[in-house]
Amino acid sequence: MSQTDTALIDELREIVADVLEVEPEEITETGLFAEEHEADSLQAIEVLARIEKNLRVAVPQSELPNMGSLEGVHRVVSQYKGASA
Amino acid sequence: MRRVVVTGLGPVSNVGTGVADFGASVRAGRSGVSPITSFDASGFPHANAGEVRDFAPKELVERLDPAEWGRSSLFAAAAARLAVADAGLDPAELARAEAGSVMGTTSGESQIIERLTEEEVAGGWESLSPHLPRQVPASRLAYAVNRELGLTGEAMTLATACSAGNYAIGYAYDLVRSGAADYMVAGGADSVLRWAHAGFYRLGAVAKHVSSPFDRDRSGIITAEGGAALVLETLEGARARGARVYAEVLGYGLNCDADHMVSPHPEGIAECMRRAHANAGITPDDVDYICAHGTGTPANDLAEATAVLDVFGGNPPPISSVKSMLGHTMGASSAFGAIASLIGMRDGFLPPTTNFANHDPALGGIDPVPNEARPARVRIVQNNGFAFGGNNAITVFGKVS
Amino acid sequence: MNGTRAGVPTLAITGWSAVSPIGTGADGFTEAVREGRGGGADVSGMFDAPLPSDRAHAIPGFRASDHLGRKGTRHLDRSTALALVATKLALEATDADVAADGRVGVVLGTTAGSVRTTSEFSRDTLVQERPYLVNPVMFPSATINCPAGRSAIWHGLRGVNATVAGGQMSGLNVLRYGAHLIAGGHSDVLLAGAVEEFSPHMAWGHRALTHGYDVPLGEGSAVFVVEDAERVRAQGRLPEAEVLASAFGSGAPEDTARTLESAVTRALRLAGVDADGVWGVATGEHGIAGIDTAEDEGVRAALGGGPVRVRVKPLVGECNSASGPFQLAALLARYRSDPGLHGRVSVLTSVSADGAAGAAVVRGRHMPGPTATTAPAGEGSP
Repeated sequence: MSQTDTALIDELREIVADVLEVEPEEITETGLFAEEHEADSLQAIEVLARIEKNLRVAVPQSELPNMGSLEGVHRVVSQYKGASA
Repeated sequence: MRRVVVTGLGPVSNVGTGVADFGASVRAGRSGVSPITSFDASGFPHANAGEVRDFAPKELVERLDPAEWGRSSLFAAAAARLAVADAGLDPAELARAEAGSVMGTTSGESQIIERLTEEEVAGGWESLSPHLPRQVPASRLAYAVNRELGLTGEAMTLATACSAGNYAIGYAYDLVRSGAADYMVAGGADSVLRWAHAGFYRLGAVAKHVSSPFDRDRSGIITAEGGAALVLETLEGARARGARVYAEVLGYGLNCDADHMVSPHPEGIAECMRRAHANAGITPDDVDYICAHGTGTPANDLAEATAVLDVFGGNPPPISSVKSMLGHTMGASSAFGAIASLIGMRDGFLPPTTNFANHDPALGGIDPVPNEARPARVRIVQNNGFAFGGNNAITVFGKVS
Repeated sequence: MNGTRAGVPTLAITGWSAVSPIGTGADGFTEAVREGRGGGADVSGMFDAPLPSDRAHAIPGFRASDHLGRKGTRHLDRSTALALVATKLALEATDADVAADGRVGVVLGTTAGSVRTTSEFSRDTLVQERPYLVNPVMFPSATINCPAGRSAIWHGLRGVNATVAGGQMSGLNVLRYGAHLIAGGHSDVLLAGAVEEFSPHMAWGHRALTHGYDVPLGEGSAVFVVEDAERVRAQGRLPEAEVLASAFGSGAPEDTARTLESAVTRALRLAGVDADGVWGVATGEHGIAGIDTAEDEGVRAALGGGPVRVRVKPLVGECNSASGPFQLAALLARYRSDPGLHGRVSVLTSVSADGAAGAAVVRGRHMPGPTATTAPAGEGSP
């Protein structure tokens, strides 16, 4: 994993942790937000909204089902990053 | 306890103002949806709404000065004025009677908050117009009705979001039934808002063009506005004055999902239906028609249909959504549902669900009265209203023979 | 004028709480009222936005997480946070069966919800790069019924859930609405009260509304657990107070004194109480000449000059929709503090700038408790 990837993951981790009201270190790469942190649909949309606002990457809501873990969020964001830049 | 009936209806809507126009539109399946003009919607990918473009408060209210009241209060007052005229009540006599109003709303006078916010963004806090804060309280909706009609009784605004119209009808029914009031005007009002449009859009809940409740490919709501009012009085009083009676209010049910702020909850909705039936003294078999909450979001319509199938079994009565025509008028929506249902009861038809193309297999044996009004004899109507906060409210109306 | 009549129960108050500028919980509030201790705090550090004054009757030290834990409290709007704490404390203060599934509800008053959240949400549609880049998690908080809805979720209350936008009249609204909901069989136990938050938005709006007068703005929430008094007695329980009757009228703003006079008179008649039996009246007087004069005139016309005037706004500030509930809380605080008031009748009055006026008739019991100065005068129904 490249340094930019690590930086992106850390940034995404911060976003997810703040939305889910947990400490960043509680967010593992593969842990499911819904199961481990009782995340709900509104919080999922909030993660997506902050990604658009903070990282300027527009991700369609149809991707939400693929964004249930940090790993998934990273994969989806990486995919759309080029498109919006 | 006294029997309570509806004797007057006052719709101020994007498909018509007054019973005749509104009734004809609902029967014909007309759409009140158009491109947004009340704010700059150019930045929104989905920019249709159900605005009441021809709303002319000056022509509808007699006493209020429109400059002193927000748009939602004016919707409420105009609808109330129409409802009282439709009831054939002498306004002077009504003002002397034990009479008041209960109005429901989602956002009250939030358009005023939007104007103040624009002023703050443009010119800072010191620049706020000093006359606007006075217009912010949502309580002004019911006060507008009482002031417009000179009513001296209760004036209460229920801000229980998108089922508020049904809450209002329920409380007005309680007041008349118990003898605390002899006449009540009940209904709801809301105005189209930039922030609400943005919020629903952000949730992925706004349709691009129109809303298509219960359709397999439904994609969301159309934000909309308007005012809707009903006149409630005792059956005895209505008979004594020879009034036309639309229907009797048989009862209502209220409960709370206590589950999620925005996601509908089939179990909570089913429980609300059971409460409404018990309160009205009916069983599911008695219901001839369900006026749906039917917002057109995938989640609402699935939850609502699931609850209907749970309570009514596999072959429920027809259930249609007037939001397919009006869009989602928020706190006014269940009062509009009541009005459409009672006009249908009087004229012998079920309002259609327009924009319907494909049955959704996930909704089981739901009959949404697709696209065309259907001739029917309706004796008992169940009028659904659900809301943010899990605020469920259902009213039940019955024909008086 | 609408008063409660046949078939509507006397409400029993079987517990209450306050989150206020002068104290938290029924005990904290009672102590402050007994000592006549007013609020007033340096609010200059509460918000990034400027405020019209550095001082207000706000609660700058209020943290929802102190009462509710950290989880789930970070993104709450202030109104909702205040309501969650007040409802929690009220549930803890009652002997009602609050675990009865579906029979316990919430009825909360407000003026216009969290105006700050609505405005900030609206602001984002103007200042963000795209108008829809709003914060979805705050969307429910921008809607007026959030405090009631979230209270139900937090405490698992699946009964009736309602929000009354009553402004100054909210206290009376929720008591009247609550009585009818219980009469109609919709609920057995209701958490009835109101909540109002302090914010730059409220402060600047308040300055415009009170131009020329020095009326400090307050905030807070008071919540009462109400039930059918007959049912409470049948269960062998002793309520702290009863709301015997209420009345609500509206008219032209210039007729407010007369509207209030007839509301008080009707409420007393419905309660079966004579004006000279009333020891005190808790008014909403707050220091604005015109409307205070109307309330004072209405009260004097209905009750004469005899009853003690209980004014809580000099202590808690102008709390808008929470004003009526704080007035009621102040009456209950007096009953708690003074055994001589046991079983005697008091009146609560409210008037609005829009011409509405109303009254409730209250009979309280002197409660033994940490704030009582002496032993209760005797047990039994007040």
